[in-house]
Amino acid sequence: MVTVDLRRRVGATTRRPNQGSRAFNAVNAVILTGVVVATLYPFINILARSFSEEHAIRSGQVNLIPKGFNLTTYRTVLTDGTFWTNYGRTVEYTVIGTIISLVLTTCYAYVTSKKQLRGRGLLIGIAVFTLFFNGGIIPNYVLVSHLHMRDTLWAIVLPNAISVFNLLVMKAFFETLPTELEEAAEVDGMGTYGILLRIVLPLSKAIIATMVLFYAVAYWNSWFSAFLYMDRQDMFPVTVYLRNLIYGATSGTNEDASTDTALQIAANIKAVTVVLTVLPILVVYPFIQRYFVTGILLGAVKE
Amino acid sequence: MSNVSRRKVLAGAGAASAVALGLAACGDSSSEGSGGVPNSTQGPDVSKNKDGAMDKYGVGDQFKATKPLKFSIMILSNAAYPYNANWLFFTELTKRTNVTFDATVVPGSDYNQKRSVMISGGNAPLIIPKTYRPDDEQYIASGAILPVSDYASLMPNFSDKIKKWKLEPDIDSMRQDDGKYYLLPGLHESVWKDYSLAVRTDILQKLNLTVPKTWDDLLNVLRAMKTIIPAGGYPMSDRFSVPPQPAGANNLLSILGEAYGTHAGYQWQATTFKNGKFVYTGAMDEYKQMLQYLNTMISEKLLDPESFTQTDDKARQKFSTGMSYVMSCNAQTIQNDNKQDIAKIPGATVVKIPVPIGPIGAAMTGSRLENGVMISAKAKDSPNLVAMLQFVDWLWYSDTGQMFAKWGIEGTTYTGNINDGSFKLMPEIKFAGLNPTGTKNIQVEYGFYNGVFAYGGSTKLLNSQFAPEEVAFQEEMNKRKVLPVDPPHPLSADEREQVTLWDAGLKDTVAQNTVKFALGQRPLSEWDAYVSELKAKNMDQEVDLTNKSYDRYKKAHG
Repeated sequence: MVTVDLRRRVGATTRRPNQGSRAFNAVNAVILTGVVVATLYPFINILARSFSEEHAIRSGQVNLIPKGFNLTTYRTVLTDGTFWTNYGRTVEYTVIGTIISLVLTTCYAYVTSKKQLRGRGLLIGIAVFTLFFNGGIIPNYVLVSHLHMRDTLWAIVLPNAISVFNLLVMKAFFETLPTELEEAAEVDGMGTYGILLRIVLPLSKAIIATMVLFYAVAYWNSWFSAFLYMDRQDMFPVTVYLRNLIYGATSGTNEDASTDTALQIAANIKAVTVVLTVLPILVVYPFIQRYFVTGILLGAVKE
Repeated sequence: MSNVSRRKVLAGAGAASAVALGLAACGDSSSEGSGGVPNSTQGPDVSKNKDGAMDKYGVGDQFKATKPLKFSIMILSNAAYPYNANWLFFTELTKRTNVTFDATVVPGSDYNQKRSVMISGGNAPLIIPKTYRPDDEQYIASGAILPVSDYASLMPNFSDKIKKWKLEPDIDSMRQDDGKYYLLPGLHESVWKDYSLAVRTDILQKLNLTVPKTWDDLLNVLRAMKTIIPAGGYPMSDRFSVPPQPAGANNLLSILGEAYGTHAGYQWQATTFKNGKFVYTGAMDEYKQMLQYLNTMISEKLLDPESFTQTDDKARQKFSTGMSYVMSCNAQTIQNDNKQDIAKIPGATVVKIPVPIGPIGAAMTGSRLENGVMISAKAKDSPNLVAMLQFVDWLWYSDTGQMFAKWGIEGTTYTGNINDGSFKLMPEIKFAGLNPTGTKNIQVEYGFYNGVFAYGGSTKLLNSQFAPEEVAFQEEMNKRKVLPVDPPHPLSADEREQVTLWDAGLKDTVAQNTVKFALGQRPLSEWDAYVSELKAKNMDQEVDLTNKSYDRYKKAHG
């Protein structure tokens, strides 16, 4: 409380807003408002479409306010069994995937943050190598097939378990923690795991929250590995369902195509599916975001 | 994470097609080189592959495996009627044929990519349907796909339809350098023209005009329409531009190109057979005349310049708000889109007009083949190979099989007979324009009329799916003369690779300049300069290679 007062007083005496900074603020506000509008508009538009009738959308009458307001589209989509099966898969992959990713990334990052550790450079090198090179889609597919992971949860959560970018962020965070704390714990007789679990992790809530957000969003949005490794419809996450809905009907129009490819999915059904798919992760975002800000700052800025 | 994975996805997407050829050989132990000199005409020895097969199976016979069999198959899941393992189609199929499916379900949005990965990874199901030509060609060199032409004798219905409908030239156009073909295509009795123009008939009436019969008539109709169109509108604003194939306005170019005796839009092909040899399509005089026509439409403000780039939704918006009166359509979109879109304009009516006639007269070109089925080369080692081919033959090519796949079970989903015109869907069954008041969609609820299984067939079978006005359209079109298809000119694997490289640059140049000439951004007086640009991009070499392969094939196979 005291510090806040002090800062205010200092600000009041030394920094009087001059014309330049006022202009700067004004321009800033205009630009940022523009950004907000540009990012919010599509969201609101989709939302408005989801409550509108098909014909109004087709004739371009729906902008920010629903036209021909109705809830039947929601009812249609919500009664679709496949949608819910796939939705359940998305939740399953996101929860299990995030847990596995978090455990593995934390362990890897903690080990490589210890400067005295021999072979640390090699471990980091191995991780970074995969950032630039990878086997490619078909070898990966062959590998996963031979490990008998196709059509299982593991094909989704294991190959992508550690994201190197997240690993480096986390490692940088661990490196900023004062070593004295760990030394003190060691003197008090704690082992490596005790230090990690009781000292380091409690101090790292910020970065863990950030990682949960990063991983959860990535798993929620991902569709490609599921599309590649899953041969059964009930194993698809909802993103694959959504993608098929949006791109399926438009990609196949071809002179000698059969009539089935020309079928169009109603625009309001698409909108409803998009809204329902995006909603949960959208709601989670603000709650974790405050950790996210502090977490990244702590990790990225080293003194 | 998201950055990295997105990049991986993109890299992967590219790699899938590029690497498909190279890697297939590693993963697939059963692959064998299939190129080279064809064996003699007798089929391969299948004495060890007859498990479950019928001893006597011919045209008109119901296929039923002698013991329960399970075949692996890829099934495209269409977003409009997502795959459902409990469909009546599957249960009835098992009842009739003793066959069940081990299905790999693939979302339609990315079917081709998954197919490439599975084939290249050596994991492909035995039956791989829904393959459009020439997508099959990329898998041939690796030997992952069965040369089905060797086994045609085991497929009586398939062979019978080819003979009965005189489809040999069409089939020949599929043959590769080795004289074989690798895809079992959908077979149509007659050339099926699906795409044409949708025209607002109430506007025609208002202007005292009749339906345009020729492209010149169309110009006059559009000119008249222009006098009453609201400001900002164009008499014609077209759809089917996304993705451009290769220049946008895919259907307008396609039907216009056909009327001028060349290939453009959906029907674009690099070379066209003219006076006994192949010439480059984009440099033909006919192509230039077609561009001249488009240029007239644009310069007189009869055609919306955005027609080459706008999305279907945009075009439909203009049509539905009375800002355009003419646009491209097909049998489905006229029912599902155009008619719905104008529903709120008082008094508005729309029809799909017979394709206007151009300089080549009342004729049409077109293949009578459709997308089809590939068989994995692994099937060669299956004891059930013969039974599987008999099964494929029955389901996709027999009259009964086609009727079953399309309309289901007599007495349950339909009544009557397509041959005497008594065919009728049951009152509660709904399909596209038929029985709009029905409550059960035949595709969604039962799995019939699934694009994976139901296509091709006799003209009567085709017409059974149409509303009366579409049948009238088909009858009008069928009066026109059918021009022969281009002769086969199969390239070897190396040549194909070379042509693909040349083709990419050439096609881009043609696509860009097609739009520029049409929009008047480049005057047609620069046509010769444009042809020189094509020459600089190896046009002549590509044409030479095509003609060489045509001569070579003619010499080897008659």
